[in-house]
Amino acid sequence: MHIIQLGEKLRFFQPLSQLGFARILAETRTHITLSPGLISLEKPDGEEGYSAYFNISIPSIDSLNDLPMQLSWILPEKKSEKALSKTSFISIQPFYPHFVPETLSSEDYSNYIEKFLSLHDIHNQIFTLPISMIDSQIVEQVIETECSLYVIVGLSSILKNQRKLSNTLVSLREKISPDIGLYLPGPISPSLHSFLVYSGIDFFDNSLAYYTSKRGHFLTNDRMFSTQNHPMCFCPYCSESPPNLFKHNELILKSSLSRVRYSLEEKTLRTLVEKDVHNKVSFSAALRNYDRLYSTNFRTRTPIISSSPMNCIGEESLNRPIVNEFRNRIKERYIPDSFARIILLLPCSARKPYSFSRSHMLYRSAIKKGGKGIFSILSELIITSPLSVVPRELENIYPAKFYDIPVAGQWSSEEIDLTATLLNEVLKRYNKESIIVNHMHGEGYDDVVQIIKKENSFEIFNTSIDSSPTSQESLLSLSQTLQEVYINKLSPQTKAPSALIKRLRSVADFQYGIGTGNVLFSDNIRTKGKYPRDLQIFREKNQIGSLNSKTGYLSLFPNTAELISSISNNILEFGTDQVKGSNIFAPGCINADERILPNDEIFVVFENNVVATARALVAGKDMNKMTSGIVAEIKKKSKVKK
Amino acid sequence: MKINKSFAEDIKQIRERMLPTREHSRRIIHWEEEHRIRTGRGKALVFILPTRGCSWALSGSGGCSVCGYLYDNPQHPDPDLMKSSFSEILNNKITQEEEYSIKIFTSGSFLDTNEISLDVQKSILQELQKYPQIKEIVLESRPEYVTEKILQQIASIIDIKKIEIAIGLESSNNQILKNSINKGFFWEDFEKAVKRILDANAKVKAYLLFKPPFVTEYDSIKDIFQSVSKIEKLGIDTISINAVSIHRGTFLSKLFENNHYRPPWLWSIVHLCKELKSKFPKLRIIFDVVAGGNIRGSHNCGECDKELLKQIKKFTLSQDIQAFDEGVHCSCKEEWKGSLFQEKISLNDFYSNT
Repeated sequence: MHIIQLGEKLRFFQPLSQLGFARILAETRTHITLSPGLISLEKPDGEEGYSAYFNISIPSIDSLNDLPMQLSWILPEKKSEKALSKTSFISIQPFYPHFVPETLSSEDYSNYIEKFLSLHDIHNQIFTLPISMIDSQIVEQVIETECSLYVIVGLSSILKNQRKLSNTLVSLREKISPDIGLYLPGPISPSLHSFLVYSGIDFFDNSLAYYTSKRGHFLTNDRMFSTQNHPMCFCPYCSESPPNLFKHNELILKSSLSRVRYSLEEKTLRTLVEKDVHNKVSFSAALRNYDRLYSTNFRTRTPIISSSPMNCIGEESLNRPIVNEFRNRIKERYIPDSFARIILLLPCSARKPYSFSRSHMLYRSAIKKGGKGIFSILSELIITSPLSVVPRELENIYPAKFYDIPVAGQWSSEEIDLTATLLNEVLKRYNKESIIVNHMHGEGYDDVVQIIKKENSFEIFNTSIDSSPTSQESLLSLSQTLQEVYINKLSPQTKAPSALIKRLRSVADFQYGIGTGNVLFSDNIRTKGKYPRDLQIFREKNQIGSLNSKTGYLSLFPNTAELISSISNNILEFGTDQVKGSNIFAPGCINADERILPNDEIFVVFENNVVATARALVAGKDMNKMTSGIVAEIKKKSKVKK
Repeated sequence: MKINKSFAEDIKQIRERMLPTREHSRRIIHWEEEHRIRTGRGKALVFILPTRGCSWALSGSGGCSVCGYLYDNPQHPDPDLMKSSFSEILNNKITQEEEYSIKIFTSGSFLDTNEISLDVQKSILQELQKYPQIKEIVLESRPEYVTEKILQQIASIIDIKKIEIAIGLESSNNQILKNSINKGFFWEDFEKAVKRILDANAKVKAYLLFKPPFVTEYDSIKDIFQSVSKIEKLGIDTISINAVSIHRGTFLSKLFENNHYRPPWLWSIVHLCKELKSKFPKLRIIFDVVAGGNIRGSHNCGECDKELLKQIKKFTLSQDIQAFDEGVHCSCKEEWKGSLFQEKISLNDFYSNT
């Protein structure tokens, strides 16, 4: 029996990463990963593929005052001794189920909560939460306790109502801390797992295997077939004679959840969700709701530091949280270099980063012919969907370097609109005397340019009107146009920062907040290391940080971070001046900036001193919600000052 | 408070919408069936008296959430017709060779003088008193009508030892009585009525309800065990367990139509019979499965229903768990287990087409 110290509300789960409302939950002490996971209704023959199982038996007359329903967690034997606990219990439940009207259930439900709160081992108890009660005040008392697992009941009634479904799941997850697990019992089709995990459900059970097996339903990852007529399956259970349908269906559930968990680890869950929601109309609609109505809820929990491929296949991709976050940051944090006078609009390329593509190499050599020193006054903006505007300086960061989109030449009106709107915003930040050179070709690009023409007074030169941007004709036109404007109207700026400094500043602003780039990087910066190695950054002789060549983002040493601690968005206020061990725990976190995204580099600050740099495990707003567990992993500690 | 006002109000509303539609014959319905009498196998003669119906169901509290028997009662009963046809049927049906158990049902309370006037009660008992082949007489009543006065009245007409008063207790758990069934009385009321009956030398039969609304099948199995144990301690020797069948025009029916209720599995009933009989070998356990195999009654997967119903029937008649020896192997037994646990964990959260 583990003894909980007074005042320490230790929860059973530790979130290890986050993507939208999806989290990977591990047991707090052992860090054994348990979610997204499958729960077996009975003790299974083999434990593989399950996170936990129930020890329930059919009631017998001699065991009426038997133990409560017990859920055993599957933890490796060696480590299970260390675990906070090995079992959870459903000791009490409300009397009324979720579907009775509130007039009838509210009293019963307050009684239930009152009794539940008085249980002595509440940290081991499983709380039953009917979705109708989510907005009720009394539930908050339970949320404050160390109870770690809730059974969600009543979702079946709104599964087909996309508006209610998205609203309910969002307000549920927004209300409760990320170290609380949600278990959705009942027969849920495996094709819905990814969406529900993305919405914050952590555990499912194998009841579908029970229900389908007798009725002769054969499951696959996305559909149900009859046993008489289904695609061939070569799993060991189907090779038995007669085939073991229960085991087969159970296997599908296991593999479905393992697929979801893997994509969450790999940070590609959103792509999987977009693919899977196409199996069900109401879920496709609910996902669109997430992106439109609840965009902030997801955006603030989606990591931007990543290096996993981002496939934008469907319409849903246009409004992905990460895409919205990118656009937002471009709008709010991208400041073009003050010497820029020529704004060059370029089309995107399939190869990323754009600079590595054949087309962009051609543009580059054409630009060079514009005249010596032209880059000092040139600002390149790559126009693309779904990211809209990617400044050259930021082409190496996630997601700009990692997205892929099927290109067929047509732009949807939404794409045109989004792109033109953002481009307009970005253009506002340029010197009013600047001119635009438009080296883009094709209908969608033309439409974008038409829109910005209306709202801006910049003079626009088109260099790729009649043929493709990579054609000899267009490239020549680009060189000549640049030459003309450059030589006739402008002069090279010797004081302009180098391309490298511009890039570092833009990345810093994008990553840590506006103004940080200017503070961190000036002329005395040198770098070491060539692609694909990380770029080490030195000021005079001291290394101040590095630029990760995979993700394209910076990481700073604590003493350098201190320079920007008053203006950065990535600040976690810490309780003491010394950090011990290798993690930042929730009780030590006084306040985290709500703009912190999971996986961000953050600065741990005590009384304006940066005591360490760290990697966030969860979003800033969730760090503030958590009462126990690790919120960030330390990267570098500040050297103790003598 | 023995009722939950808001719950009673819901039930009443459904009731009031259905009531004006009832239109039924004022004739007595009756039939004969195989029956387990205390002395052995015999015949049962069942009468349904066309009274105005159960006072509780007609009251402002709406009656029980599961009961639609009221809709089978006529709006305007005819007591004289009732009296005369009762004696006529009795005369035609009773033979010399058999032993009989007479069951008189009204879908309400026989002892409620508002439902059956004292005069009719007397005349029926006087008729029955004429036949020595009648060994048992089952009268149904809610506990509040079982007064010492009325018991003395009965004893003055007929040998009261033959009388068995059947009380629909449904559950010994007051919370279930109040919040699930809207029964209007508590276990303690039943206990007192039982004492009065036993003191008067009559017998008691208790009815229990298997799987009332809101109670998961898992919990209802537990509740039946608990209720039987409590009832048995009172010295009652016969318990009739009714597995829910969904009557139209009831609160339960609405739950069912909204996919919030599944009638009990036959596997659960088999389990109950076996467990109860091994624990209480002397207790007479009658399992009445109305609409068995039907979607609105207890059912399994459809393939094994017939066989199991046969075994349950056989058990009720023989009171011998050997009735279940011939094992039925159906793979829906797995589904039953899964459903029992899932329903319990999710508190009746049923999914369809997902």
